[in-house]
Amino acid sequence: MNEYAKSELHASHFDSFFGQLWLILNPLMLSAIYFVLIKIIAGSADSTRYAHLTACLFLFYLVSNAMNSGTKSVTSSESLILNTAFPRIALPLSTTIVAFFKFLPTIPVFIIIKFSVGLPFDWNMLWGFLVIFIALIFGLGVAILISAANVYVRDISNFLPYLNRTLLYISPVLFEASSVSDQLAFFKNINPFFPILDSWSRVMVRNESLIWGDVAKAAIWAFGTFLIGTYLFLSREREFAVRV
Amino acid sequence: MFDPHKAGEIAVSVQNLGLIYKTTIDKKLSLSNRVKHLGRGTKQTRIVNALDGVNLDIDYGNVLGVVGANGAGKSTMMRVISGILPPTSGRVEVYGKVSTLLALGVGFNKQLTGRENVILGGLASGLSRDEIESHFEEIADFAELGEAIDAPMRTYSSGMYARLGFSVAVTVKPDILIVDEALSTGDARFKEKSLAKLKELRGDNRALILVSHALGTIRDVCNDVAWLHKGKLIQRGMPNDVVDAYQEFLAVGKSAVVNEDV
Repeated sequence: MNEYAKSELHASHFDSFFGQLWLILNPLMLSAIYFVLIKIIAGSADSTRYAHLTACLFLFYLVSNAMNSGTKSVTSSESLILNTAFPRIALPLSTTIVAFFKFLPTIPVFIIIKFSVGLPFDWNMLWGFLVIFIALIFGLGVAILISAANVYVRDISNFLPYLNRTLLYISPVLFEASSVSDQLAFFKNINPFFPILDSWSRVMVRNESLIWGDVAKAAIWAFGTFLIGTYLFLSREREFAVRV
Repeated sequence: MFDPHKAGEIAVSVQNLGLIYKTTIDKKLSLSNRVKHLGRGTKQTRIVNALDGVNLDIDYGNVLGVVGANGAGKSTMMRVISGILPPTSGRVEVYGKVSTLLALGVGFNKQLTGRENVILGGLASGLSRDEIESHFEEIADFAELGEAIDAPMRTYSSGMYARLGFSVAVTVKPDILIVDEALSTGDARFKEKSLAKLKELRGDNRALILVSHALGTIRDVCNDVAWLHKGKLIQRGMPNDVVDAYQEFLAVGKSAVVNEDV
């Protein structure tokens, strides 16, 4: 699987310097655009806000890339599925590994940004690894679930851009979680990105310790999605060969 | 790596095999299509009875040829034996490692080079990286791709694609090799070479299943032939007897065309 992911990265030239640069440029340019937008709409935006925006966009794109590339992982491997017996779950798993490899170079980029805008560093940032792990499990769960669903409903990929955008706007990326009023608390609870991105911003941007209640919520979302997705995938995978 | 089997030992046992599947009339299932058909009551699916009560045993040291008209269920049966499709009824027992070379190719990734695909294909068939690397030269030599082995497979011709697929499938030394219409794209010389390789594998006491419309090849290589028609086993026996009966059924006679790989 690892070999497959590496070959995929090689085939899309993401193992070269300029390939990696391209991976970072996309979220970096997005964060610059959103920063300008926030500055125009809200009237003010400081360096903490910029660091928050960048960090959260990077992590959001890890999950979003896993979801997007996972969607067609099964349906685009038609000839492989029809001709080879292998565990089908390896397909969304390898696209998630690819999404993770694409995410890795954004970590040093964020460290450089944080350093250049003059924000301090702290040991609490190490909790970031736990948040990445939870985000990765969530991304994998979504990829497995959606790749199986796409076998039965082929136009799911048409809805993905809307879903991605909606999730981006209702998650604490363009705003900070603390600025959400209590009246909207309901949306905090039904959006899996909320506890993940808020915990990420706390440890990576503000050097605060984790709120364990939020970590528990994020973990329940991540492992819940992973378990349900895997169960549905495995119970249906024998049908894939006649459905693709 | 290869646990030698004795000639005559059972390799594959197909018992009362049945396969029914639902296929969609719409090309792709999609939410928009489902909504469009809502309320119209039009049927979107069709039931296909692909295999019906097939019984077949294949022993080591034998080459079983499978013949039949289009839609007879040959490829479907190969997919069930190799574990790709689950049977609806009956059972399939496989005593050994199966390598498949089915109609659509091995599922190579066309963006990757031949070399990378050989490694991925080998890993997918359960070999370790070291084993693949030790066999790599052998695979590349057999496929006769030269420097093209390091070019992306989207630049390959269909013959080059088939040659590499065949080389990987035979070099991993499977206990049971299933070849489904995969020899027809190579040129005459490569076809000759691959038939020789199949005979060599037969001599090694491996089990081979060869699905082909090239009846000349079936007569030449196989020592046992099964004829399928509309999902049912019609006849099983010596190559000349079964192929003669099949040709008579097709009413094509022993013309030159049916002996060719076309």
